[in-house]
Amino acid sequence: MLGTPSYFRSRQRPATSPSFLSWAGVAIALLLASCQSSPPSIEPRQVHVQQGWELQPGGSIAGYPIVAGLGDVSIRLRGDALYAPFDGNVEPAEAEDCVIFSSPKVPAYLLRFCGLARPRLGEVVQGDRIGSGRILHFATLRKQPDGTWALVEPSLRLIETALTPP
Amino acid sequence: MSHRSPRKSSSFQYFLAGGSLLALVGLLADFRTSFEARPVSNACQEVVQPQSVLSRDELSQLLAVPERDAKATVQAIVSDPYCRLAPVEIRQGVVAEREVYPLAFDPQTWFVLLYEGEEYAGYSFVFQK
Repeated sequence: MLGTPSYFRSRQRPATSPSFLSWAGVAIALLLASCQSSPPSIEPRQVHVQQGWELQPGGSIAGYPIVAGLGDVSIRLRGDALYAPFDGNVEPAEAEDCVIFSSPKVPAYLLRFCGLARPRLGEVVQGDRIGSGRILHFATLRKQPDGTWALVEPSLRLIETALTPP
Repeated sequence: MSHRSPRKSSSFQYFLAGGSLLALVGLLADFRTSFEARPVSNACQEVVQPQSVLSRDELSQLLAVPERDAKATVQAIVSDPYCRLAPVEIRQGVVAEREVYPLAFDPQTWFVLLYEGEEYAGYSFVFQK
């Protein structure tokens, strides 16, 4: 037999061809790998700000969301990145588009960053990229004896550290 | 004389290849997570008292001290720290000092105290990996 016409060969291919099996194997492997690597969801951190102003991030006015309030320093990042100023942890905040940064090495303080697109959540080390954005709203909060957090003026060095690539 | 079906043999080979690939992907995923788990750096700037630890009793007294109390109140409870971390400035114009005490009952856990001037600002636990 010199050869089988191509149309005939294709009809003879079994329904579960070896190539199908191999692609199925790859697909399953990738699916399992993606399931394994997906980070666990992190619950938003509840932070009770001592200054109970009406207009705060997470609120809205006339149907428009409030993205910053008194006590926030707004910086035009122009899409650049923000970096972890210390080893610490990034958690989502209750306010949309905001995250809370805490560091066990810096007790009694929290940092709130609003305006970052797709921020990195979880454990970070100093210099890790947390996220980037067009305009960053940066707030520093100091723990109070009653368990609330007071907005305070952040140090210039702290902000510079967070804005400067390592 | 028995002949193995070529189709069965081929399916088995692909099954084996798929399984190997799956194992390889799983292994790589494990390596990736182990690379991601980086230890927290806890470098002391200055070791003050290498033998210093915090007892359970001292810890329970410290936990009862409210933030913004006097630094002297805290220092009346504890002795010299194990070490000091580098000073940091979180609030504009205020330098914070941080002192470290390993827990006597769990030396891998550090109790970190932060002072601002003569004021006690707060504490945290650092779990070393």
